[in-house]
Amino acid sequence: MAATGATHLEGSFKVGPAIILITILILFILVGIFFRAKDTTDFYAAGRKISKVGSGMAIASNWMSAASFLGMAALMYGSGYHGLAYVVGWTGGYVLLLILMAGQIRKYGKYTAADFIGDRFYSKGLRAVGAIIAILISISYCVGQFGGIGLMFKWVMGINYGMAVIIGGAVVLTYTLISGMLGVTKNMQIQYIIIIVSFLIPLFILTAKFDYFWLLPQIGYGSVVSDVVAGLPINETKELINSLGHDFAIVPAPEFAMPWDPATGKTFFQWIAIAFSLMIGTAGLPHVIQRFYVVPKARDARWSVVWGLFFICILYWSAPAYAAFGKILSAHPEVGTLAKDAIVVYTAQLGDIHPLIVGFLAAGGVSAAFSTVSGLLVAGSSAFAHDLYVRVINPNASPKKQLLYARLATILMAIIVTLIALKNFALIGQLVAVAFSLAGCTIFPLFLLGIWWSGCNKQGAIAGLITGGLISVIAITYFIAGKSGLQLPAHDFISYWLEAWYFAWIGAPLSILVNIIVSKLTKPTPVEIRKFLIEQVHS
Amino acid sequence: MESNPNDYHISFFKPTTDSARRNRNMVVQLVLIWAVAIFGFHILLKVIEKPTPEPAWNSYQEVREEIEAGSTDPEVLRQASQSALSVLGKVAIDPGHREALDNMISWSAYNITDSAGRVLLMQKLESFETIAASTDNPISEDYVAAKNELIPLLQGIFGLEMTDVRGKIAAVEVKTSLMQSPGQETIQQANEAIDLYLIHNRSALTDARLLGFPFHYFYTAVFLLILFVGLCWLYCVRTDMFNRKYGIED
Repeated sequence: MAATGATHLEGSFKVGPAIILITILILFILVGIFFRAKDTTDFYAAGRKISKVGSGMAIASNWMSAASFLGMAALMYGSGYHGLAYVVGWTGGYVLLLILMAGQIRKYGKYTAADFIGDRFYSKGLRAVGAIIAILISISYCVGQFGGIGLMFKWVMGINYGMAVIIGGAVVLTYTLISGMLGVTKNMQIQYIIIIVSFLIPLFILTAKFDYFWLLPQIGYGSVVSDVVAGLPINETKELINSLGHDFAIVPAPEFAMPWDPATGKTFFQWIAIAFSLMIGTAGLPHVIQRFYVVPKARDARWSVVWGLFFICILYWSAPAYAAFGKILSAHPEVGTLAKDAIVVYTAQLGDIHPLIVGFLAAGGVSAAFSTVSGLLVAGSSAFAHDLYVRVINPNASPKKQLLYARLATILMAIIVTLIALKNFALIGQLVAVAFSLAGCTIFPLFLLGIWWSGCNKQGAIAGLITGGLISVIAITYFIAGKSGLQLPAHDFISYWLEAWYFAWIGAPLSILVNIIVSKLTKPTPVEIRKFLIEQVHS
Repeated sequence: MESNPNDYHISFFKPTTDSARRNRNMVVQLVLIWAVAIFGFHILLKVIEKPTPEPAWNSYQEVREEIEAGSTDPEVLRQASQSALSVLGKVAIDPGHREALDNMISWSAYNITDSAGRVLLMQKLESFETIAASTDNPISEDYVAAKNELIPLLQGIFGLEMTDVRGKIAAVEVKTSLMQSPGQETIQQANEAIDLYLIHNRSALTDARLLGFPFHYFYTAVFLLILFVGLCWLYCVRTDMFNRKYGIED
């Protein structure tokens, strides 16, 4: 059949949403200019004055990316309860991060994750490896974001995905370079508010329109989930329809909410492995850890996590509602196959929400991706310019040269990310999860043991890193081979137990174990470092 | 920290000071709560679950053998088609499964109708299919009108109530091109689809309701997140208290 809802929803160039999108991006840059910190002192002074709530918003804005905004609902829409492993994984990790690391990281007082690794394990080589891993994590994290930006640009401009990724990539690169030149800005709170407001408005409208408890959609959608499970007959008293004229009705679909449902092809093991990998990955992501270096006091570092997590949860409590509404609104086969990663926007469209509000929603998704991408590109390029180039390759580099290398690294990274994103390997949430597993296998063990056990030494760190790195390489090689149609030995076995989005479930514990064994067998950590740990970090 | 300067060893599990010991105990407590709340609950969910079929699956079992034997009894075909439509209404199903089920219901629709009804059905279906092939706009007037003429007809054929959404699904799934008798392979595929999509892992935890949610869904999607924020809050409050008590400056 030629008539499908999907093509109809996609449509052509959308003027309203395009204007909203451009306005918001310009607004971010203007806010950056007007609220620009004059120098580093000003920034730290502002940091001291900023409330815990404010820095919580900054953490949330830094964290919430296309994976949170678009990817989570997509996973739940496609695989039901399985998607909640991502919701739990991306929030539960903050508990670990806070109680095991945040305060201590602040007290350690370095600037980047590679700085910490190089210093704690007294090794230039490890610093370089740490920097390279940080760059790889940034790249892999950005791929999913570029995918999200591509999908939203495709929707706004009515062009094909490949073109949209290239245009979106160019825009985000320009944006990063401009905001990078503005220096340290304080617009993170404004970004958070735009992201969260654009995400919530359609939910209030949807719950009100379809007769659910709308005052708190995060609770109100519970009945939507139950309706999907039990099935919803056609309403005879009220005409509840979607924008394509289909009834707001669905056959019983328990596969949406029942755990590891056979119809989704997902298992109990996968649920647990994903939740675990994402949680330890959270506590090992360089751009997340680095946030704690800039807060003035350890106490502020701790409290900002509480507020940050709360603000993140507002989005995470809401995302499943899009999946549930999306399920009913797209239940008629005529709607056709929708790109899962755009389901948030399609749900709003199918719910017949005003096009400008849908445009604002799409712009919110782009903003979420932009704020994260620019942070990641900056983190990656500074890992290159600061940790690799200056600290390892050319210690006498002039600041001007350093800046030039940082810019070049930003551009190079954006090109690499665009090329990978064009391949459209997997869902946004899954692609981002690869970065988490990578961080969980490599950086998390080094921070955990480095902070809490003075016995962990350079040799142990190297051995642990090789173990975690090896597992990462195997998992990612099998993933890419699978996507390229190559069958490697024991393909099904490895692809299931070491799938690219959860290989840290085994990689991290193994890396920790090897690290401990080798540390025990080799020369102890130098006394200066042990002394520093006791007197500075754990005082 | 009062430790021997020649020593300088630190280990999470072997704290040497009072404050470190208290911190360790608190961290262990919080991590335990965290782990049991997430993994303990899901292990429990796994342990008590039972594969539970939907009513549509049970209904299909009553006629399964007759369908396999190639029955053309209208009642049997109607019952099987209703179950097949319950699967076809699910959002994501495999294209192979969809075709097998489409074949099953199309063949059934053909056989359930008497010769006069069949002429009318074919006529309405053909006109709808012609319009559908010529437009990519599913809300165009012609398209919707042709579909609306087809719906009551199919509701009658399959014995579905007006409020049953399956009647409207039938309109886009019954196809003139799939009205041939389904072979053994197709029936096998349809059976497979019905088993795959209509049996779910359920338990008391998934069937109970809380604030409108299935209980387990509320627990994971809402409560766990509240718990995480709560655990973080608790940690900060207690750390602040310890620090004041031990005079530790951050």
